[in-house]
Amino acid sequence: MEGTVVTITSGKGGVGKTTTTANIGAALAMLGKKVIVIDGDIGLRNLDIVMGLENRIVYDVVDYLEGRCRLRQALIRDKRAPELYLLPTAQTRDKSAVSPEQMVQVCDELRAEADFMLIDSPAGIEQGFQNALAPANKVLVVTNPEVSSVRDADRVIGLVESKEKGPAHLVINRLVAARVKKQEMLSTQDIMDVLSTDIIGIVPEDESILSSTNRGMPVAFNGASPAASAFRDIARRLCGEDVPLVEPKSPSWWQKLFGRAE
Amino acid sequence: MSFFDKLFGRKTSAETAKQRLRFVLVHDRAEIPPGVLALIKDDIIAVISRRVNIDRDHVEVNVTHEDTESKLLVDIPLIPNINNTQTGRVSGTPARRKPGS
Repeated sequence: MEGTVVTITSGKGGVGKTTTTANIGAALAMLGKKVIVIDGDIGLRNLDIVMGLENRIVYDVVDYLEGRCRLRQALIRDKRAPELYLLPTAQTRDKSAVSPEQMVQVCDELRAEADFMLIDSPAGIEQGFQNALAPANKVLVVTNPEVSSVRDADRVIGLVESKEKGPAHLVINRLVAARVKKQEMLSTQDIMDVLSTDIIGIVPEDESILSSTNRGMPVAFNGASPAASAFRDIARRLCGEDVPLVEPKSPSWWQKLFGRAE
Repeated sequence: MSFFDKLFGRKTSAETAKQRLRFVLVHDRAEIPPGVLALIKDDIIAVISRRVNIDRDHVEVNVTHEDTESKLLVDIPLIPNINNTQTGRVSGTPARRKPGS
């Protein structure tokens, strides 16, 4: 087995990198893939709590790199899927605890054992981002339909290309179809025109994300919400399936009246 | 967007956002801040006008971005010197170099 390393990054913070990583990881695992999600945000780890695995951490990747455990001991198995694992990072250290070469080394060791390794990159373009980018075979850039995150996405896409990790694939997160319709929000087409990047997924704004994060239960495990199916579509595209992009639609009056069916 | 905005042909906020992004990204990508372009323009005017007559008010300096390539496009309208028959251009409108040519 020769697994693929997918790095999820954005430049700007708060656009949904961790949620995207957790959900694509869950979706890939539910498709029967062997998946390891890796927290790349040393000192500000959150992938554990978003996935609901925060109470099971004993060792982390820094413990492994400093010789306090074996790599396998640092992996936490997520029992909700056949083969899903979390590699947590250290909470009490800073970015300099890991080098890009060490991230490559860790991923090379895991490559033989997994189909996909998803790295949740920290925000910014400093060392944490460089660490997350170094082992990547594929890079997903998450953006919101809003000027500051689109601008940062453009910068990150340029950096990804300059490191010869491109072309980056764009995830448009938290799109509100009703506001796009009213022309209060950048549309998918607007973002495509400005960034000229391949889009791998459009995730609609979805109330169920907050409650699922509250519970540590990513929607893509078994949720029926619009975001859950958008994350599942991204997972299938990562597996090489040709899944057409669906532009989110604003709910019609009867859908609003009876609650959304999809 | 309100009825009045539409009535008066005011731009939607999404349109404005797109336009602002396009502008800022051109500069981000070229790593040239907008203010530097103005300085470059002054420099070019100073250098070129030492040798030829140019229409200083209509000099344009812009950065364009296509795929992965950025270009500095400079448009300098020349003012033909009517008394000088050696240049070959003695009449007509000022020669304008078309952008991209």
